[in-house]
Order: sequence, then structure tokens, then C-alpha cells
Amino acid sequence: MATLTAGRKPVLRRELEALVGADGVLSEPDELLVYESDGLTLFRALADFIVFPTSVEQVSAVVRLANREAIPFVARGAGTGLAGGCLPAEGGLVISLMRMNRVLEVDYDNQIAVVEPGLVNLHLSQAVGPRGFYYAPDPSSQQACTIGGNIATNSGGPHTLKYGVTVNHVLGLEVVLPDGEIVWLGGRTRDALGYDLAGVFVGSEGTFGIATKIVVRILRKPQAVKTVLAVFDRIEQASAAVSAIIARGLVPAAVEMIDQLTIQAVEDAFGCGYPRDAAAALLIELDGLAVAMETQAERIVAACRDAGAREVRTAASEAERQLLWKGRKSAFGAYGRVSPAYMVMDGVIPRTKLPYVLGRVNEIVAAHGLRVGNVFHAGDGNLHPNILYDPRKPGEEARVVDAGAQIMKVCAEVGGSISGEHGIGLEKADFMPFIFTAADLAFMQRLKDAFNPRGLCNPGKVFPTRKSCVETGPVAYRPHAIETQGLAQRF
Amino acid sequence: MPLLDKLRAIVGPAHVLAGTELSPYVIEGRTPEAAVRPGSVDEVAAVIAQAAEAGVPVVPWGGGSAVGVGVPPARAGLVLLLTRLSALVEHEPGDLTATAQAGVTVAALQAALRARGQWLSLDPPDAARATLGGVLAANASGPRRHLYGTARDLLIGVTVVTADGAVVHGGGKVVKNVAGYDLPKLFIGSYGTLGVIVEATVKLRPVPDEERLVAVRFERLEDAGAAVRALLASDLIPNAVDLMDAPAGAALGLPPAPATLAVGFDGLGEQVDWQVAALASVVAPCGGAKPAPLPPALWERLAAAARDAFDAPAAMMTLSVLPGVVADTMEQGAEAARQRGLASAWCAHAGVGHVTATLRAEGERQDAAPIAAVLEDWRAAAHAGGGHASVTWAPLPVKSALPVWDDAGAAGRLMQRIKAQLDPNNVLNPGRFVGGI
Ligand SMILES: Cc1cc2nc3c(=O)[nH]c(=O)nc-3n(C[C@H](O)[C@H](O)[C@H](O)COP(=O)(O)OP(=O)(O)OC[C@H]3O[C@@H](n4cnc5c(N)ncnc54)[C@H](O)[C@@H]3O)c2cc1C
Repeated sequence: MATLTAGRKPVLRRELEALVGADGVLSEPDELLVYESDGLTLFRALADFIVFPTSVEQVSAVVRLANREAIPFVARGAGTGLAGGCLPAEGGLVISLMRMNRVLEVDYDNQIAVVEPGLVNLHLSQAVGPRGFYYAPDPSSQQACTIGGNIATNSGGPHTLKYGVTVNHVLGLEVVLPDGEIVWLGGRTRDALGYDLAGVFVGSEGTFGIATKIVVRILRKPQAVKTVLAVFDRIEQASAAVSAIIARGLVPAAVEMIDQLTIQAVEDAFGCGYPRDAAAALLIELDGLAVAMETQAERIVAACRDAGAREVRTAASEAERQLLWKGRKSAFGAYGRVSPAYMVMDGVIPRTKLPYVLGRVNEIVAAHGLRVGNVFHAGDGNLHPNILYDPRKPGEEARVVDAGAQIMKVCAEVGGSISGEHGIGLEKADFMPFIFTAADLAFMQRLKDAFNPRGLCNPGKVFPTRKSCVETGPVAYRPHAIETQGLAQRF
Repeated sequence: MPLLDKLRAIVGPAHVLAGTELSPYVIEGRTPEAAVRPGSVDEVAAVIAQAAEAGVPVVPWGGGSAVGVGVPPARAGLVLLLTRLSALVEHEPGDLTATAQAGVTVAALQAALRARGQWLSLDPPDAARATLGGVLAANASGPRRHLYGTARDLLIGVTVVTADGAVVHGGGKVVKNVAGYDLPKLFIGSYGTLGVIVEATVKLRPVPDEERLVAVRFERLEDAGAAVRALLASDLIPNAVDLMDAPAGAALGLPPAPATLAVGFDGLGEQVDWQVAALASVVAPCGGAKPAPLPPALWERLAAAARDAFDAPAAMMTLSVLPGVVADTMEQGAEAARQRGLASAWCAHAGVGHVTATLRAEGERQDAAPIAAVLEDWRAAAHAGGGHASVTWAPLPVKSALPVWDDAGAAGRLMQRIKAQLDPNNVLNPGRFVGGI
């Protein structure tokens, strides 16, 4: 696995220490173990060094050293990724950005902030909150994940429906290219000069270089928020309601769906007030101007009722609203009570295909002798089937992985995508041909070669050519620290 | 077989133009060798493959509205007309997405979508002529970008024909998608230098219940700038915030004023009413007059207000600056022109820092030097405002007196490497873009 000889390692360690300081390099086996996985513990790979730079110059120097030695390197944020994206698939260096975590500048007049990549997503909203602003992309992991990781994976969240994903909020990036050169892609203005390289970098999963400064838009908090819960006896009715809402000319901030298995688990665990016998519930949030909020809510209620909702409730107070969201957000903890482990899938389908695909998901999982809970961003068609299983039972994990692959095939068949927010990383590299032709992939490879010609920057990811020394299973799904601490869940 | 015969064999003789038929397709004084009108994606691919083999550069051509943008080409080569590829391939209202071929005009696309209660929230000028592919390739936008963003916020999938004649897809048909590199972003604003866009899938929005445009007049541009800042810091959610100086306002037939702010709102009727009323109290402390309604027909003329200010323009420039300094940039720019005895007109999508300026031509044979000098001043103003500027139209002598594009520095070298990877033989629109691409 290690690409370095035993004799070379101490020499390199001293060189790295000279670049980032003695307390900025880890190479002991037990220390390296901490960085062998991300949030998807199915895959593991050991680095030779973990390096903690504190400035762009240090990142550049480390990258140049890696180039000189021809050893691979990969950027790592909080390690909450769910596709194995930050794993050192071929050994070499893990470059952790966690010590570069400052908000460098906030320009309220122009509604932009300049941040370092290791800044935790939520900390930006907290920093600008007192002035009435927030950072819109809100992945469920926002208490822990970093803006750098969000850039690389183009993260989304429940409010993506109205506000867009990470890329819609990124104007410019300072990047250390894979050869160590420092460049600015885009800047502070809305329109780029030349190709939209910042737009192209976002979502490149750490294969185009390492972001060291990020210019993001910050938004003013909305005047008013309204949250509606609609309860359905059939899941098709809930799916139809999603399209009906859109057909009435409304774009809610969020439309989340929760299925029966999940409702029951949540109610057993927390009692958030969802009816246990419902087949599905929709949690719909409107935000914006205070004026006419009632009128909009009435339209939502009417759309849900016309689609066959048996009950539609509007949160009357902030406390009630929080309770409804708790039902949505604590699904993870709830699954923990009904199953020893689960694996979350991430696929996207055209919204109108929801009823068909949800049916297929249930069939596929049942055919594998497993159970599935669905809780997901219905408004965007971004599915998150959570397959429940017991890792101690031989063969079960393999069945989960197989069911996941079949679900991805279904997403692809209906014109969807194999990832809405978690990325391809290692996990889905082999699924890329489900939606891309050889010509598509060859073109993307050439684009990658323009950024990363030697392939040293995060090798083995995104493209279906796995030749790395990654270990896979049998390993239990292990909850990420932020999950065990109750800070976040996976969908 | 000579290239023209091969092209005739691909698209049929009627769709290969030569000789006098080429006069509409002259690019900055250069007549192309031929123009070809393929009728399918496969034909586009075959045409490009033949041109590449023959070493003839290919100039993709939608409505031709932005063909004058860029460095004048060394050789006009083969004009590739995309207007026959104009089908609305798919529109599923329940998905709020549509897929269309690149040659459909924006106006035709919007009409088809509106008939089913939806629209593409992109409103570039010249919608009757500009094609979807051209608008994407030029990253054209209009006033409503204030709320709804630009092509990068709306394009979710793209099919292109590459420089070697391969058909390549990026993105997809779904609104959220992180599989593979974001090729749609790569092609937006790439001016046909990396691939020819043949099909695009876009996000749509429901047509709002109501939409209204109002004008606020100011005695000073600087006051209007303060009003823009106050508006951005308020609770209002306008869909357009356009600022015009006196000549640009006059071009739209607005009552004379040193500065006019055109503000748009959409949504439910109550929301629009409330916002128009609230706008009055936001702008009043900055010296803004009472908002007055504007006719809806003005919407589509806002983006081109500066361009349309003069019968004979001497040059046009687009400046991208921080929103907070738009009014200052306009004021300084107009002053720089005045100092050289030239008149200018300015308009801006002020809330997003997108500024357009036009210089008035003085007589038939105007000297290029003062025009170029003013443009250089404007460029410096854009840099001082934290941004960049490009000449979007100018006569050849002016274009040879100053760079059309800003220097993109280290990023520009990366752009050249991308071009070299994706179009190694320089087949697509060579030599016209940033960094000599
Ligand atoms: C409980 C839980 C809930 C989640 N919910 C969501 C959700 O709602 N929406 C969502 O989109 N995702 C979600 N995720 C996935 C994950 O949080 C996101 O992918 C997140 O963006 C990863 O950030 P990170 O800092 O942990 O990055 P890491 O996991 O450390 O790295 C992710 C990728 O980013 C690259 N990278 C990191 N920093 C940089 C940098 N500075 N420059 C270049 N590349 C870099 C890495 O190489 C890797 O490819 C969730 C994960 C968990 C564990």
C-alpha cells in the first residue's frame, strides 16, 4: 500500500516537518488509522502521512514536494464524505485543511464572504447570522463538514430546491493546482472572465486541485418561514402532491418526504406527532416575504388535499415547526433503534417518476431480504433509500451493496442520476457507465488531464478504472462521530 | 473529394451555402469559405469531423447576435448554422425541466413553455433572434438575473459535438446531479471554443401570478447607487434592479432624469403590491422619486438600453464589478469619455454588478485612438471596482488598438491547457477568446 520505502519515509517526514512544522505531520500507524476512511466506512486506505498546512504557501510547498517525489496526495476536510472521496486510494499524503478554518472577510454590502476551506459549514452562518445573513447550502452534516469539502462534492441540502446547491453560491476560489501553482479561479464578481473555472472546479471531488480560499455568496435571512405537514395513506398520493404543488406555481424552500417505516421508527423513538399509520408524510417549507405567506400556505394545503392527503397541518408556532423538523432530522437515530446498521443510497430521478421508482426500490430491497426506509428531498427528486441490515450476519452487507447498485440502475433507466449530492468518489466509480458513454468519460478524462496531468491529485476516484489498494468490506457501517454525538444524520 | 462536396454529401446541396449567399455571415470583415446548415446532431458531428480533417476552422452560429464578440478571426473558415436544430425535445411540466435543441430561438422556446404555464428564467436581449445555444455559449443574461441567476444556475445538462466530431453529454435531465464533472459549466460562456452545443436541458420556473416593473427617478447617479445598496440590504425580493443613466433612460423613452432605477417584482398579487409600496420608503431617503409603473414591453429592452442609446455606436464594453460600486463606475466611466469629448450611455443590472456601456460615434471616419483610450479608462475603472471588462463590440481599428479581453493571468494559462486538451488542433472558433484561445 505505501508507495515509499522504509528508508525514504523518515527523510520525507523531516522535509514535511520543515514545511508545516513538527506538529503538522502524522505518520504513526495508529495515527494514520484515524484517516483511513470517511463517512462511508465500507472503504479503507492508509496514507503514508497526514499533513496539516496552515497557509496556501504551505499547501503549495507540500504539493510541490509530492510532485518531486511522484507520490499521490488528496485533500481532506472533515471526512464526512459518503463516497470515499478523501481516501488516499494509492497511499501518499492526506492533506488536511482543518487548520485553515477562518472566515477571512465578510463584505455585507456586496453579500459575499471569503473563507478558508477548513471552515465548518455551519460556522459561516453563525458568523454572519447576527447581521441577518446566512450561507444557504445546508447539508445535514453542516455541523461538521467543511466548506472545502462542500466545494469538492457540490453539496446540497433540504433547501436546495429553492436556493440551489453549493455551486450556485460560489463566485471564486484560490486553488493550489496539482503541480503546486497557486491560481485564482473566478473572483468576487458574478461573471467570470473566460471559462467558468470556479464552476468547473466545484464538484470535481478533489481531483482538480486543492481549494485554499473560497468566495461565497451570503443571503439575507427571509422575513418569514412557514412549515406544513401533509399526511397520506398511499405513497403515490404523496408523490403526486409534489408535482401538484409545482403545478400551482409554487416553489417551496423545501419538500421532504418521509415513508411509513421511517415515521414509525421516529414516533417510537421521539414522538414528533407524525401519524404512525400513514404511508408517507411530506414536510413542506415556504419562506420569503411575510405578506401573502398565508395565501401560499393555503395553496399548498389545497394541492395536498387534491392529491388525497388525509390530513394537512400547518405549524402554528416555532416550537411546533421545530418538532416537525425533528421528525425529519432524527430519522437516523430512529433507525438505530430498529436495526443495527443502515447504508444510505443517493440517487436522483425526474420528479414525475417518484411513484414508479419508490415502488421499484421497495421491490429490489425486499428481493434482497432486507428492509428500507425512505426519507429524502422529494422536491428535487433526490432519493435517499436507507437500507437496514445487520453487519454481523454473513453476506448481508454484500446484499446491501448489490441492492444499492440495482437501485442506481433504476435511477439511470428513468433518466436520472447516480448521485445527487454525495458524489462518485470510490463508491460509484464503477457505476459511471450507467449514465455516461465512453465518449463522455473520455472527454471528462481530458478535462481532468488539463488540471491534473500527472494524476497525482486524488487518484483512483470518479472514473471507472480501479487499480488502487483500497480495502473493502467486510466492515460494519460505523456511524460518523457527528452522528453518534447526535449532531447530524446522513440525509 | 473537396471539402464542399463532402459537406454537400452530408447535409444535402441545399444546405451548403457559398458565394454571395455568404454575405450575412461575414465575421468582422472576413467572409467564410462556406456555411453549412446541418439538420441533425449526427450531421453536425460529420461536418465537424470533415472540417477538422481538412484543417478548416469551424465557427458555430446560432442567431448571430454575439458573433461580433471577441478577437477578429484570422480566418472565417466554415460557418456552422444551427438554426435547423430547433426542436423542443421534451417538456415535462411536472419535472420543471425542458430539453431543447440549440438552434431554437429564446422567444420560440419561451412561447412554447409559457403555453404550459412555465418559463426559462433567462431573459437575454434579442430573444427573437438569439438561440438557446448561442445564449449559453455567450453566457447572455438579462434583468431578471438579479433574482434568478444566469445560465450557470439554470443549465443542468448539455450535449455537444467536440472538435473531433464526437457527441458528448454532460450533466443530465435532473435538477440535482453531482455525477461526473460539471460540463454544463464548462460550456457556458465558452463562445464555441470547446465544443458545439447541440442540445440543452434547463431548469424551469412556474410563470408567476403577477409581475410589475416600476421606475424610480434620481437627480444624481450617486443617489441611485445608494438606493441600490439600501434595496439590497432590505427585506424586498426584487427580480430586477436595473440602473440607467440619462442617455440610456432616454433610449427607452423614459422621462428625462440623470438616473433611473427600474425595479421589477413578481409573485402573488399581494406580494407585488406590498413590495412596490415598500420600495417607495426604501428609496425615498436616498432621494428617489415615487415609483412609477413602466409598461411591460420595456422588460425586454432594459438589457440593451445603453446599446440602443445611439444610432451609431463607436464601441461597446461590458464591465463586471462589485454591486456596491456600480454607480461610481458608471459615473467615472461617463466622465472619462466626456474628458475626451465623447458621449457615452450606461446601464447596469446593478444588484449583480453587470454594467454595459456604449460610446457614441462622432462622424464617419472617427479616429480609433481616443475611442481605445476611453475603453482603457473604463477597463481601469472595472479593475478598480474589483472586476474585469471586455470589449463586446468595436470596429476593427479599435479592436487592434487594445485587447478585447482582460488578461486572465495564471487562470488564463489553465484555460489554454483546457483548450489544448479538448481542441488540440484548434478547430473550434480559434483565436477569438480570452488568452488567444
Ligand atoms: C451524517 C452525514 C450527513 C450528510 N448529509 C449530507 C447532505 O445533506 N448533503 C450533502 O451534500 N452531503 C451530505 N453528507 C456528505 C458530506 O458531509 C458532504 O459530502 C461534505 O461536503 C463533505 O465535507 P467534508 O469536509 O467532510 O469533506 P471530506 O469528506 O473530507 O472530503 C470530501 C471530498 O472533498 C475533497 N476535499 C476536501 N477539502 C477539499 C479542498 N479544500 N479542496 C479540494 N478538495 C477538497 C476530498 O478530497 C474529497 O474528495 C453527509 C455526511 C454525513 C456523515
